[in-house]
Amino acid sequence: RTDMEETEFDDILDDWFIESLKTYKDLHVYQLEHPTQVIEWTSGKTVCVAGFTSSKNEILELRLPLKLFADENKGLCAERDFKVVHGGFTDAPVRFSNCLNLQVWDLGGDDSDVIRRTGSVDGSRGVSEGGSRIAARLSSQPQVLHGAESAGVRLTQLTSGQTVYTLETDSADPLSSLHFVSDAVFLAGCSNGKVYIADTRTSAAPQLSPPPPSSGESVLWWTDASAGPSCLDPSSCRIVRLSSCGQTVISDLRNPGGAVSRAQLDVQTRRCNADDVRVSWAPALDDCIAVSGFSGAVQIYSSSVWTTELQEAQPLFEHRGHAVSSQSDDGVPVFVTSHVWHPERPRTLLSAASDGSVHVWDWVDQSAAGC
Amino acid sequence: RSCILVSIGGKNIMLDCGMHMGYNDDRRFPDFSYITQNGRLTDFLDCVIISHFHLDHCGALPFMSEMVGYDGPIYMTHPTKAICPILLEDFRKITVDKKGETNFFTSQMIKDCMKKVVPLNLHQTVQVDDELEIKAYYAGHVLGAAMVHIKVGSESVVYTGDYNMTPDRHLGAAWIDKCRPDILISESTYATTIRDSKRCRERDFLKKVHESIERGGKVLIPVFALGRAQELCILLETFWERMNLKAPIYFSTGLTEKANHYYKLFITWTNQKIRKTFVQRNMFEFKHIKAFDRSYADNPGPMVVFATPGMLHAGQSLQIFKKWAGNEKNMVIMPGYCVQGTIGHKILNGQRKLEMEGRSTLDVKLQVEYMSFSAHADAKGIMQLIRMAEPRNMLLVHGEAVKMEFLKGKIEQEFSIDCYMPANGETVTVTTNPSVPVDISLNLLKREMALGGPLPDPKKPRTMHGTLIMKENSLKLVSSEQALKELGLNEHQLRFTCRVQLQDPHSDTDTLHRIYTHLKSVLKGYTIQHLPDGTVMVESIVIKVSSSTEDPNTKVLLLSWSYQKVNKEATSSKILQQGTDSSPNHYLRKCL
Repeated sequence: RTDMEETEFDDILDDWFIESLKTYKDLHVYQLEHPTQVIEWTSGKTVCVAGFTSSKNEILELRLPLKLFADENKGLCAERDFKVVHGGFTDAPVRFSNCLNLQVWDLGGDDSDVIRRTGSVDGSRGVSEGGSRIAARLSSQPQVLHGAESAGVRLTQLTSGQTVYTLETDSADPLSSLHFVSDAVFLAGCSNGKVYIADTRTSAAPQLSPPPPSSGESVLWWTDASAGPSCLDPSSCRIVRLSSCGQTVISDLRNPGGAVSRAQLDVQTRRCNADDVRVSWAPALDDCIAVSGFSGAVQIYSSSVWTTELQEAQPLFEHRGHAVSSQSDDGVPVFVTSHVWHPERPRTLLSAASDGSVHVWDWVDQSAAGC
Repeated sequence: RSCILVSIGGKNIMLDCGMHMGYNDDRRFPDFSYITQNGRLTDFLDCVIISHFHLDHCGALPFMSEMVGYDGPIYMTHPTKAICPILLEDFRKITVDKKGETNFFTSQMIKDCMKKVVPLNLHQTVQVDDELEIKAYYAGHVLGAAMVHIKVGSESVVYTGDYNMTPDRHLGAAWIDKCRPDILISESTYATTIRDSKRCRERDFLKKVHESIERGGKVLIPVFALGRAQELCILLETFWERMNLKAPIYFSTGLTEKANHYYKLFITWTNQKIRKTFVQRNMFEFKHIKAFDRSYADNPGPMVVFATPGMLHAGQSLQIFKKWAGNEKNMVIMPGYCVQGTIGHKILNGQRKLEMEGRSTLDVKLQVEYMSFSAHADAKGIMQLIRMAEPRNMLLVHGEAVKMEFLKGKIEQEFSIDCYMPANGETVTVTTNPSVPVDISLNLLKREMALGGPLPDPKKPRTMHGTLIMKENSLKLVSSEQALKELGLNEHQLRFTCRVQLQDPHSDTDTLHRIYTHLKSVLKGYTIQHLPDGTVMVESIVIKVSSSTEDPNTKVLLLSWSYQKVNKEATSSKILQQGTDSSPNHYLRKCL
């Protein structure tokens, strides 16, 4: 790297940081030793991240900077760092929603900061190349929903290892995600665009929402369902489906086959790794969706302005921090590997990228109509 | 507070001598009774080494040297030696004058203490005495901060003090060579954190300053003359230029001169960028930053002022603070830690009403912002340092043991070394495996090579035999013959003899011959000779026959062999056993 290139890089980075004074309320930039594909909330202030190389990986539970939460006394709090609350090692790559063998980990209490493996759930039955998807359900007895294909999704009790429910479908479609929309109702999103809606309390056949039209053979789909266990009325739950060419369809559970609205997103598909794409509803904002995995940016869209006609949509906000601050020397552009919304703070997100960076950001909504 | 005692190769060294800023009583000083219960420390310490000028590393130094008593050498880098006394005096003033404490060191004590200081240069080996040597390495963190390498004979320890592995705007990153110390002692206060980037901290600073200026407020930034002040000035200058801002920025008088003076003295301690800039122009000639005059504090409109001292405990910064505190549009930004008893400390703890001299109260209405710019190594930084130095053992100090199991495990796994985390007052004993250098004579080597066989390698060492001679301070491995020669000794030969009695009426010669024939038939594969001098030789065992004087029918067999190697002896007895069965009489009788 020449001095010139170094200065140029610094200038671009400085420009972005100066711009960020107006576009972000809070901004924190961290560098992990190894990139992560998972960011999972373990409490309102802590997240878990983990490496995904084929050999030894670290699992870390990180507490978010205290300054972020010190609302009244923000000025007096200088703490801007992640605190490593717990750490552990695993031999397998960790993608909480993609592992052949589900491993159960115990985050140590206050008397130790080591994460230990306490058991595993056999998820390896008839598993395809892609591996299993999982969704955790925090009932009185912790249970996990897992499977690699639609036929064979199981709800397993963690303590006893017992299977409490099995999804039965006509065809075995590879899954891209599993989501609980209420205590008992879950969605199985398939890579081919199908979505199954099942109720774990009944043995009735699941509802099927067929894939949106105009999806070709090589097109992949990702899904998210709005509202978690707090959603008492399943009909107010929405499903968003995103395709690998950027087509987005929103439907609701009352009419899963139909579409409430659509949009064409500009996803700049270069090479996209199916494992990295994420689409998610904002838990504390109406109609907001975040999309990442296609590039080095996280895009936020407001679906309230979308109609049933397929039209191009512009993002409400774009977090380009990872792309701008990445110093990849081998010419491979950085791409975002994961993002999550904070469960309560409306505009706070965490995002991780392939260069090991993790950002915590609280964006400013500068549009009149929006989230 | 940092204060570590190391015993290595019979030498005792004190690493840092810091003050605990949270206590008001004697608990703030290190407990020197670990060295000796009463009296001065001079006889018990070979030297004291101070890593940098922060009070939690040098704050108790004058107390130790002048009030407890130590007259030996105190080592620190040149910048540390220049800056330490200033900070110590400031600190003394606050503690004694402001807080009225009595059991504390005086100004004269600080001066007397500094007379004992021996300054260090980077990467220069200093002989403390015949056996103890030390070397300072760049630690980053603050101007003049050093990591120190201590060596006695073939054992060594590296102490890091505070360091950081990422360069900032005015200091470089820590660096050390692959010195492979027996122990690497590292601070671990931030070992369980992952640090937010420098740019984000700077962004926060700029955002706060900008917001205040935009609403017409005034921003006070109390600073110490060196370090953060320069960084923040460079930052603001760049920002003002880019955003085309017009509000004035001031630098209080005295700051510029002092800072310039120190930077000129210690230019080698800053980073590349600073050095380049300094060569081109005077460091503190900024386009947008001007010298302050006290009358400006009353000017209307927005402005930013950098003023000393850093903790708002006296002087200009306190004066300005008093003027601006009542307006909520204004802001004070504290860029670092404030000692207890200072106004800085009080407002950072949220106090909004302050008691000033003359019983007046000050209402604190302005915005108070606490920003931490200090550069410390986090978990990643510690791992990077270990990779650089390749220690054989790791020691983490000042962390919470319970919260560091994971890091300990990580270090032990990745580097296969032991990692210790002692608490205050705890002693850790580390067994080292020092290499002892020994010279080996060429003849001995040649002889070993001539024996043939595979060449030795680290995984398959080969045993060799020789004699170790210790002469003066060197060790030499030579052949036994050479050793004997050097020592003027004669080699002794050991011979074993064994007498066996037989009943045999034949003549001596006949008996001998029969033994010869017999042995030849049963001991195949061994060299058996019947020599003209009347002996039979089985390998190197000599057999002679003679008659008993009392009774010619009783024959006495004399078996004799020399002691050469343990192996050979074993072979000898094996041969005898084979040839003569367990009872020599029985067998020989049998054949006769």
